Amino acid sequence: MLTILEELVLLAVNPNTGELVSTHEFGMGYALVGAVFFDLALSRQIDTDTEEIRILATAPSGHPVWDAVLAEMRNQPGLRTVRDWIEAMFRGNHDLEGAALASLIAGGILRRQKSKRLWLIEVERFPLVDRPAQTRLRERLAGAILGDQIPDPRDIMLVSLAEPCGLLRCLLSEAELESRKQRIAMLSNLETISRKVSLAIADLDASVRQTPHRLG
Amino acid sequence: MIELKTETRAGWCVVAIRGRADAETADELEAALRAAVAQHPKVAADFAGLDYISSAGLRAVLQAARAAQAANAEFAACQLRGSVKRVFDVSGMQHVLRIDENLPC
Repeated sequence: MLTILEELVLLAVNPNTGELVSTHEFGMGYALVGAVFFDLALSRQIDTDTEEIRILATAPSGHPVWDAVLAEMRNQPGLRTVRDWIEAMFRGNHDLEGAALASLIAGGILRRQKSKRLWLIEVERFPLVDRPAQTRLRERLAGAILGDQIPDPRDIMLVSLAEPCGLLRCLLSEAELESRKQRIAMLSNLETISRKVSLAIADLDASVRQTPHRLG
Repeated sequence: MIELKTETRAGWCVVAIRGRADAETADELEAALRAAVAQHPKVAADFAGLDYISSAGLRAVLQAARAAQAANAEFAACQLRGSVKRVFDVSGMQHVLRIDENLPC
């Protein structure tokens, strides 16, 4: 089974071009951090309540990304809240996207393709090798949004992370998104980590809007 | 630490939950609620004795509610108090599962 981080990155791959898409670049950065915290929560390495994160893991998990994040958390005992941790990890130098891509390539789901744009600029794309893997993922999440059943917690987590970075547009039409706005908001609110991810993105957007723009 | 006691009253299976529902006890909580849902068409989770619930605990309740939905069983979260009620409220759990102030039986 893929991790939440891997599924989030797989969702961001354009199936036609292999490019990574997101309508909100910083939003995606925060969502990747949120995804790792969800993975840690699902594997019972951490637990959260409405505000705080508690580390439960006593031994390395063997997963390099999780262990790097847990090691950083242990080194900063002063940070306790979910919000503080999301901010700290966002500012940290973790290549979460790179780690997820490497894992998806190793798992035979994507391949790396390097090419040059205008003969100079090197660009990387990640075409799908296992196209059905992405199709199944998209259908699962679309079902969680369009249906009225209680979704699996994994799907709730993914929907709540995909929403603030604009990735739900990859699976649903504008009309579907509009008609299920309340359901998406309801699912996005169920988990503390995604509530804090959304708040961090909203604060970032507000501070960008307040930054004076220089003319000329 | 969690204490779980199951009894049947007036057609309802009541699972009384005491202590803490967190990552350490979530599996036990989910198993008790799922077992009740598998055997009874009406299940009430009685949270009156619960002092604390974390995200892992909340997910266990959500999984039990999913199992009830799949089995066409009634599932109600009852007698939420203090900080536990606040966690349910903040998360908007009332939108996905039935929440009753008192036990239905």
